[in-house]
Amino acid sequence: MRSVAVLGGAIFLFVLVGPFLAPHDPTAINIPERLSPPGEEFLLGTDALGRDILSRLLHGARWSLGLAFLVSLIGLIIGTVIGLVAALGGKLADWAVMRTTDTFLAFPEIVAAVVIAGLMGAGTWNLIFALSVTGWMRYARVARGIGLSLQSRGYVIQAKLAGLSPWYIARWHYLPSLLPSLTVVWTGMFARAILGISTLGFLGFGVQPPMPEWGTMLLDARIHMRSTPFQMIWPGLAVVTSVLAINLAGDALRDALADEGNHS
Amino acid sequence: MLKIDQVSVRRGSSVALEDISLSIPHAKTLAVVGESGAGKSTLIAAILGLIKPWKGKITWAGAAVSSCRPALVMQEPRSAFNPVLSLRRSVLEPISAQGTSVPGERIKRLCDGLELSAEILDRRPSEVSIGQAQRVGILRALIAAPPLVLFDEPLSALDAVTQKHTAKLITDLRSEEGFAALIVTHDIGYAVAHADEIAVLKSGRIEEVATARSFAASPQSSYGQTLRDAAISLGALDTAA
Amino acid sequence: MIATLLSLLLRAVVVLAGTAVLTFALLWNAPGDPAQAIAMARFDALLTEDVIDQVREEVGLNANFWGAFVDWVGPLLVLDFGNSAVTGRPVWPDLWVSITYTFPLALAGLAIGLVISLPLAILATQHPGRLLDRFAVAIASLGTAIPAFWLGLLLILLFAVQLDWLPAMGARTPAHAILPALTLGLGVAASLTRIIRSGILEARGQQFLPALSRRGVSPKAIGRDHVAPHAAVPVVTVVGLELAFLLEGLVVVEVIFGRPGLGTFLTSAILDRDFPHVQAVVVLTALVFVSVNLIVDVIYRQIDPRIGERDA
Repeated sequence: MRSVAVLGGAIFLFVLVGPFLAPHDPTAINIPERLSPPGEEFLLGTDALGRDILSRLLHGARWSLGLAFLVSLIGLIIGTVIGLVAALGGKLADWAVMRTTDTFLAFPEIVAAVVIAGLMGAGTWNLIFALSVTGWMRYARVARGIGLSLQSRGYVIQAKLAGLSPWYIARWHYLPSLLPSLTVVWTGMFARAILGISTLGFLGFGVQPPMPEWGTMLLDARIHMRSTPFQMIWPGLAVVTSVLAINLAGDALRDALADEGNHS
Repeated sequence: MLKIDQVSVRRGSSVALEDISLSIPHAKTLAVVGESGAGKSTLIAAILGLIKPWKGKITWAGAAVSSCRPALVMQEPRSAFNPVLSLRRSVLEPISAQGTSVPGERIKRLCDGLELSAEILDRRPSEVSIGQAQRVGILRALIAAPPLVLFDEPLSALDAVTQKHTAKLITDLRSEEGFAALIVTHDIGYAVAHADEIAVLKSGRIEEVATARSFAASPQSSYGQTLRDAAISLGALDTAA
Repeated sequence: MIATLLSLLLRAVVVLAGTAVLTFALLWNAPGDPAQAIAMARFDALLTEDVIDQVREEVGLNANFWGAFVDWVGPLLVLDFGNSAVTGRPVWPDLWVSITYTFPLALAGLAIGLVISLPLAILATQHPGRLLDRFAVAIASLGTAIPAFWLGLLLILLFAVQLDWLPAMGARTPAHAILPALTLGLGVAASLTRIIRSGILEARGQQFLPALSRRGVSPKAIGRDHVAPHAAVPVVTVVGLELAFLLEGLVVVEVIFGRPGLGTFLTSAILDRDFPHVQAVVVLTALVFVSVNLIVDVIYRQIDPRIGERDA
């Protein structure tokens, strides 16, 4: 749990503070300085419109990481609620929820997100919608699986006998047991969301220019690949580093939970 | 009163309970005795409405049992409490569900009766002894003053000394609170000493129903005889009573 | 067994029906007037209301939701994908051409992935925790963190721009397929290495294997009757998982390398708002995906009958 907390804090801090460290306005066009190589004034060089790449990277964290955080959190909430409805709502609700989940899983998530975001029109809100709608199923499956196993626990039976509402039982008796596993799923989905946002940005269906989202930056950089290849390195490196860090934290958390399970 | 009328329960393709008829008047105690696997837990689940009978009806004062909000004391005291919540929270659940206020005086009186210090309620289930946890379980069962309380092997997780003590507390509280009780147990000595009536369950069928005194003196069924004799030879049943 | 098969089949049909409704709801709710979009794509910007209405009639966009859904789903049931809203040509021949580009690329990507990951995972698990194993795990973690489009761009940068060894854009010669297949294959290799590695470690950790050999069961029989089924479960899982990975990778890779294929077909159809093209790809993908998962499910139950009991 601690590794994830540290990671969450670091990302939050980076998203919050990063833009203030930027030496230049990330969207200020400066044609005379266009495509400058890395140097003293522009540490990582400038892009085709003369915008400072370092500043764009730092501001881009807000888009790439911030949106991924938001999207994975929305998925977490939707998926947990749906999974709990399946676990608590009886056989019919369970069947309906599971078939709905299968339906949403009947399509590769990123491809589905491309189709949804593309048809609804490029833009940040549609991007959030597309990635949330395609990103809740894993949470739902995990929540349902653990939820069903909790049904026979003594305290859940007691709560039902006491006449507590399903909402109360879900909140106080199911959620605490679900959270550790859901956090592991969340780290994976957070990483996937970063990849998804940059992929959609790169394909032109995501965050739109001039916003400095990392995938969108790569779309710009690609055009000038032959003359200024260095432009392409940084945004990609930012994506890889973030995804790698989140995945490693998720692995550590999963191992820690497995150990805990073995000891108790 | 609780009325179980010709109830049969199916588990998968096999029959777990067959043609069970029992009744418990207000403020009386019925003990259901039998070996493990006889269908005792299934009977409790059926009374609480956790499983639906295949045939027959179970009612409390003519209405569905759930209408009287029956309480249950479980065999495993610790797993009956949410491990991450304080015992106080769990104990107060039956009251908070009904939206009524918390009668502080009643909690204190019950705690005194169960010989629990109020401070114990602020701990987690893992921080109290099994015997304490079981008494907190009884506290939770009684807190909302239910007219019917079911006890599923309430003593079997406890050591011998605690068993005797807890059994006495249950009986004292029963006469004080005046609820009807159904106690499921395999302990004949306990059943004879603390119940008004005894029902013998074997392979899902009722072998006999008798008052505790007449059962101790002379069981009618041969299986009841076997159970009683085994209890005597173990010294668990005092024939002089 | 027959009952299980039928219930799995029923489940697949329900899922496909759900996919159809979702797809149509998306097309129906897509913003803007599709008739206008189609008309614009067909006749450039010289539009009168008459032309738009004519297009609307032609493409059948007038009915209410469920009426339109029935009209829409009927031809799809017999795999009739209709005509393109932009060019007016039948969808299927163009779609088929795309498949002939995409399918070999997917196979090549899978093959490269296997050629890299299988030996790597087997060598790594010879001495778990040692240098080679750690190296394999690190490379695999890195590989799964690299977005396919960036890997593709880096490969272009290195092999096409800097070294000038390979062509980057288009699909004219077999050499054009090398970089796209490599991009896809490296991604596949990363995720496969992880799965195969843990599959081998798990199968080897089975408690009953030493007991069997003590009882005099021959190593060959142990391998055939006990290790293989255990190892087969993850392998079967992989097929389902990698299919999703491949399809996602293909869309990106085809766009980067400018290859005609299903991914390019899909993205340009979305940009042109060519709904018949979009829905053809969506329906085809869902059909393949659900069929593969159905087969995986059936094989699963053959290998391990307990699985059926776990999720009812």
